[in-house]
Amino acid sequence: MINRKIKPESEKEIFFNLPEIQEETLVNGLRIIYIQKEKLPITRLNLMIECGSKFNPVGKKGLSNLTSMVLDEGADGLTALEISDAFDMLGSNFTVNSDDESINLKLQTLTEQLESSLSIFSKVLLKPDFKEQDFEREKRKILTRLLQLSDEPDFTAQRILEFLVFSENNPYAYPSLGYVEDIENIKIDDLKSHYSQNFSPSNSYLVAAGNSEFEDFLKVIKPHFNNWNSSAVKSELSFENKFEKKKIFLFNKKDSVQSEIRIGHSSVKRNIYSFFPRLLLNTILGGQFTSRINLNLREDKGYTYGAFSSFSYLKDSAFFYVSTSVSNENTFDAVNEIYSELQNIRNGVSDAELEFAKSSIIKKFPANFETYRQITGNLATKVIHSLPNSFFNSYIDNVSNVTSEQVKKAAQDLILPDNAFCVIVGDKSKLESSLKSAGMDIIEVDDKGKII
Amino acid sequence: MELLNLPYEKYNLNNGLEVILHKETSLPLVSVNIWYKVGSAYEQKGKTGLAHLFEHMMFQGSENVPKEMHFRYIQEAGGTLNGSTNFDRTNYYEKLPSNSLELALWLESDRMGHFLSALTQEKLDNQKSVVANERLERYDNQPYGLAWEIVLKNLYPEGHPYSWATIGYLEDIKKYKLEDVQDFFRMHYTPDNAALVIAGDIEINKTKNLVDKYFGSIVPSLQKKEPAIIDFRINKNIVVEHLDNVQLERLYLAWHTDKIYTDDDPKLDVLADILSGSKNSRLYKRLVFDEEISQDISAFQFSGKFGGMFMIISTAKPGIALERLKQIIFDEIETVIKRGVEDKELIKTKNSIKASYIYSMQSLDNIADRLNMYNFYLNEPNKFNFDLLRYNKITNKDVSDVCRKYLSNPFVELRVISSKKNN
Repeated sequence: MINRKIKPESEKEIFFNLPEIQEETLVNGLRIIYIQKEKLPITRLNLMIECGSKFNPVGKKGLSNLTSMVLDEGADGLTALEISDAFDMLGSNFTVNSDDESINLKLQTLTEQLESSLSIFSKVLLKPDFKEQDFEREKRKILTRLLQLSDEPDFTAQRILEFLVFSENNPYAYPSLGYVEDIENIKIDDLKSHYSQNFSPSNSYLVAAGNSEFEDFLKVIKPHFNNWNSSAVKSELSFENKFEKKKIFLFNKKDSVQSEIRIGHSSVKRNIYSFFPRLLLNTILGGQFTSRINLNLREDKGYTYGAFSSFSYLKDSAFFYVSTSVSNENTFDAVNEIYSELQNIRNGVSDAELEFAKSSIIKKFPANFETYRQITGNLATKVIHSLPNSFFNSYIDNVSNVTSEQVKKAAQDLILPDNAFCVIVGDKSKLESSLKSAGMDIIEVDDKGKII
Repeated sequence: MELLNLPYEKYNLNNGLEVILHKETSLPLVSVNIWYKVGSAYEQKGKTGLAHLFEHMMFQGSENVPKEMHFRYIQEAGGTLNGSTNFDRTNYYEKLPSNSLELALWLESDRMGHFLSALTQEKLDNQKSVVANERLERYDNQPYGLAWEIVLKNLYPEGHPYSWATIGYLEDIKKYKLEDVQDFFRMHYTPDNAALVIAGDIEINKTKNLVDKYFGSIVPSLQKKEPAIIDFRINKNIVVEHLDNVQLERLYLAWHTDKIYTDDDPKLDVLADILSGSKNSRLYKRLVFDEEISQDISAFQFSGKFGGMFMIISTAKPGIALERLKQIIFDEIETVIKRGVEDKELIKTKNSIKASYIYSMQSLDNIADRLNMYNFYLNEPNKFNFDLLRYNKITNKDVSDVCRKYLSNPFVELRVISSKKNN
């Protein structure tokens, strides 16, 4: 008979070979970063052009996104439908999107179709048509999409929080998709200038993972990117953080049966020194299922399906936030519990919590390199935050070396309940009574976060 | 394709537990994946949502695993874990560094064989509240979040195992007592109603010994009844209007089709892709691209053990009547029936399906779950190639034939109307 009381221990240490990061810069300045992974005949690549929404000119919020939407709607004689068909015929997945930092052209393909896929890919990159009718159609599409998204409580809550935690002159305060009134004013020439001013090899990175040798990958890649020349220059931006006293904001979404909650504040940029204490801090506070916030709000109180916290790292800034959604009657108790958790963690964490978090992060490390998507994602993070090549190799040591004093200091420096804004998207009429009895001052905002 | 030919060993323990082992050593990881052959289709009217609530209870600890520790032990070992419930089955899975396989087997066997003694009223009340919030978050408070439930309720007759959504009705969830959960466990959570897949960096013989050590002594107690399959077709169109807190109106059309892995099942997948799977698909091109009267369009075949349905969903642009969308959708259906589809469309769809099969092989969790899925529906885990070949042999005529056979029949039409318009 076995003794079920005893938890089995793990066997001897496993051996994991971190894949090698290989790099090359083409003569035109395009940096290529590659990891070979042999398991399947797949190649995945992501061309990141640093001209995301934070570079949108004043009054043109949404320009970068609209540019990304129109980019593959016609190029070098191929129509939108022909481009789409050509990729589909090859079984390749191709998408273009824009985030805060960059416009991203992403391709997943069977390696045998890499060459053919790239010949279409490079047309989209180098010779987009930017035709008036395609522009108008995509513009109408994004305007309707914004209308549609305004129904979604999580989108609205996140948009309001990000608007409030950054100062008004910080472009990270604004959603990548833009605002209706700005988009209505965007002209096709704005897209053409956004393209010509930013699309250049020296302003871009190509991160990739595939089963080929790096040499063979380069042989296929080079002919498609070597002729890319442009004088566009890279822009540098930097922003101050803003901290104000804690406030509670409400967007009145009538007939909501739940309150969508965000609590957060801006934070210092990600950098090597404070990253690992911060990672452990957030893992203990709200980064996973067994973190303090979820165990309290879900497993103890039953207020929610889930509650999590995160540091959101942007290239030139960062913010910290907690997110959850709860029923109307528990809204204010949940908000109070979150603020107490933020306060409590500033008193430090126990050794057991720290050991648990370290173990979980360290032992999970090999699984972060399982899929081609994960690998290109890791490479993209490395590029955005200018992480050294040794980042992944020294990752485990860096996690192991964090002390509980460092976590406590990180908590005191970086978790600021007295400066954390709370955003609630919910039905005011259903929240009003508990709102009054809790004695909380509520500031009403519109769906963009502007005070009414 | 050799890539999709997965070696495995399958055998049964004396207590009836099916075991499937697949060795794959590219990373030092192992996936443990258990399917219990019970889903919401095994519930009854008035007692909906129990299979899913039960899935939550399985994470609340067992005789030797205190509350919260199931999650904690796996995360401490560097693993990820979850479970899911659908109409036909409930699965539980974890992926860990391969040196922690024994931990996963200990945890899974403890809740399979030693669950009831750790079940308490307090845990149940807590998870009823969590599930109620899950329902609010994912259905009631989501735009269009109730549409799926409404379509099912109208497409299937009362009492059909697919006539309610897996999440269940709130009033049912609130009523559950400890003994409902205990009875459900005794009826369905027994080794002879489960299949265990272990895939990854394992040694076969050692793994067999571990499986025997942890699962071998669990006593079976199978008493389950299969749901009565009601073969039913609606005989006239059903139109339902639903007011929702949304800006844009949306049309849902649903037809009865055939069950999973029947001959017509893959043909309907191909039809769905030709109608809406890409920019140049028929409905997308016409509604979204050319005429710009829809914001989005999707079509899919949904199939399970007890039934199947084909659905088309489209959101109208502001100011466009749902009737216009409907007209064009039926116009295009008619064209497929009368004039068939082109070779190029069919090849495009087949190529996409083939490539997405290969892409899906990247994740060990997915491979483990597929081995269980094929074993569940086809009684043979290594059916990857078979699954893909189902699509290869489909002809143009097959596509127009299934379109005629199913999409000319009576259907359910759900119109989600904006409640804001009337304010």
